[in-house]
Amino acid sequence: MSDLFDTLSVLILMTAFVLMANKKVKAYIKTFRVQSALIALSAGILGVEAIMDEGRYDLMVVCVLIVVLKVIYIPGLLHKTYAGIEYRTEKDFILNIPILVLISCSLVVFTYFSFSASGFGVNGSVIDLQLVNTISVTMIGLLFMITRKKAIGQIIGFLEVENGIFITAMFSTQGMPFIVDMGIFIDMLTAVMIMGVLVFKINVTFESINTDRLNKLKG
Amino acid sequence: MSFLILAVPVIAALLMITNRIIRRMHIISLAASGTMLVSAIPITSDILAFGKIESSFMGGFLYLDALSVIVLDIVVLIGFLACIYSVGYLKREILLGAFDFKRVRLYYVLMFSFMFTMLLALSVKNVGIMWIAIEATTLASAFLVGFYNDRYALEAAWKYIMICSVGIALAMLGIIFLNLSAMAALDSSAQLDWTALMDNAGSLKPSSVRLAFIFILVGFGTKAGLAPMHTWLPDAHSQAPAPISALLSGVLLNSAMYGIIRITAVTNKNMGSSEFSGNLLILLGMLSILTASVFILTQKDYKRLLAYSSIEHMGIIAVAIGFFTPASIFGGLFHMLNHSLTKSMLFFCSGTILQKYGTRQITKIKGAIKLLPYTGTAFLLGLFAIAGTPPFSIFASEFSIMSAIFKEGDFIIGSVLIMLLAFVFAGIAIALFRIFYGTSSMETPQPGEINIPGTIAALILLLMISTMGLLIPEQLKELLHNAQNIIYGS
Repeated sequence: MSDLFDTLSVLILMTAFVLMANKKVKAYIKTFRVQSALIALSAGILGVEAIMDEGRYDLMVVCVLIVVLKVIYIPGLLHKTYAGIEYRTEKDFILNIPILVLISCSLVVFTYFSFSASGFGVNGSVIDLQLVNTISVTMIGLLFMITRKKAIGQIIGFLEVENGIFITAMFSTQGMPFIVDMGIFIDMLTAVMIMGVLVFKINVTFESINTDRLNKLKG
Repeated sequence: MSFLILAVPVIAALLMITNRIIRRMHIISLAASGTMLVSAIPITSDILAFGKIESSFMGGFLYLDALSVIVLDIVVLIGFLACIYSVGYLKREILLGAFDFKRVRLYYVLMFSFMFTMLLALSVKNVGIMWIAIEATTLASAFLVGFYNDRYALEAAWKYIMICSVGIALAMLGIIFLNLSAMAALDSSAQLDWTALMDNAGSLKPSSVRLAFIFILVGFGTKAGLAPMHTWLPDAHSQAPAPISALLSGVLLNSAMYGIIRITAVTNKNMGSSEFSGNLLILLGMLSILTASVFILTQKDYKRLLAYSSIEHMGIIAVAIGFFTPASIFGGLFHMLNHSLTKSMLFFCSGTILQKYGTRQITKIKGAIKLLPYTGTAFLLGLFAIAGTPPFSIFASEFSIMSAIFKEGDFIIGSVLIMLLAFVFAGIAIALFRIFYGTSSMETPQPGEINIPGTIAALILLLMISTMGLLIPEQLKELLHNAQNIIYGS
């Protein structure tokens, strides 16, 4: 079973790299969909295990919710937001894609060494590969956020960070308590909706969704 | 029973949605916030008598003790005064044609949701639910920060929601590590409860606790406005409507700081010393005070000046908690209360001045005392108070923190801190000089107060901070001591 989860965590890490290499907003949304589907799959496998071993259904509910929200609803919402704002092909990233991918690689290496340093690792001397992979997803999500100029790219980055943290919780502690998981879903959904509305307003007021135009407040 | 206080803001928000008359909305808001204030009194006296309140509702996640009730009392008090202030503030905005009844309704609904999320964050013992509530505070207040919908407000709102959401997401990672550290020590239903974590702190896995502390400090530190994660704070505080600025600065920062204090207590008990958490807290705290002092010295916008001053005071509280002696914890908690009261008053006054003069520039405001006799005086005295002048209460708490630091024998940090506070004082004094003196410009508005209920709210706060500087009420002292014992674990 552990091999399966290792594989899944590597696949999720791969989607993070793919996302980093994407150039168009539509591709971001597609990659995010794939990443969320992989997370739903992991939750589903854990959920089946939980039902067979302990008769708990909460992980299965979480899996269904991930499919409904992160695979279907939120990507759809982002598509709609993006269709509603004026389309212009602008370069969205600050650094070149190959450089960004290289930085992402170094982030994975950095995470690996921070978690294997003696006495600081979560499992002492044994390195937990799943943990390294999922935390790397979070780190790459953060990098994605700060290197994209368009507001919608930053939302995708935020969702990737959220995904990374969610899957970390899933693999390391078999998910948070059910009520906490539900709260996280509600918060995330509200956050994405509010961000979507703000993107609309920014587009109307600034005639662009490039966040480097948000530079009036200084000092 | 006590936890029915959580239902009040929800009911108020629902009543607002079904309402179309502005006058009625004002009445609902005053009644609801007044009810919260009144129902906080028996809660506080229960805490003084029994030490804690728990409820068996929904698996018993509701919990209050002396530490959370201090912050909760601040929430309801500032919340009530902000509602009083809002009546006059909104009337003026409606008069100027900026708001109609739909905007007012949205304002109140969001404001009460904001208060609800803060109350929820303080009255749960499960860290996960607390995290959800703290994230929800960002969501409830994001539109309030961008309420004016202009370029500046939208920029502030975007920065606010992005930076705080990501920051708080990192805190979630910390909470996962905390959960991981407790896997072996506690059974699964109690793994995230503050009380259980505190009682069994010794058996948590130290390496995970350390990781958890770092992530939670960065996460909640973002929300508390500690440098270098503070960048959203000056923008959000300066662009939000004045009552919301008062709530953000006086209440929201405390709620985030409350989370940091709890995790610090668990970490220190787990490690057996405060060295690890103390170093990090003192580092971030000093950095915040340094950043704030530099920006205050060169500040041209008075609302931003107040915002940077909030960063400074959060830094002082972080340093006080970092030292982790009984005296410094007492001083830090007392400082939290004093800062909230003083800063809310200043934001109330600044809102009135902004409505009167229509500018945020310090240089364009002349003779504020003549035009707004009460607000101007309160603003002048409040600025002196926030800079740490006796006899106001900020001086009392800063003094007790300082003496605690020097008693510890840390003269370097103590003297650097005093020097930075002197810089802040100089910055505020320069700003004061420009606002209250200087030659009057050609076109000044008519003299006279414009927000009478708001001025009364500010004067109540002024009265409180002046009396508390001279003597602390016995009950408050006892509450602070109880909270100090909870943190210090004696």
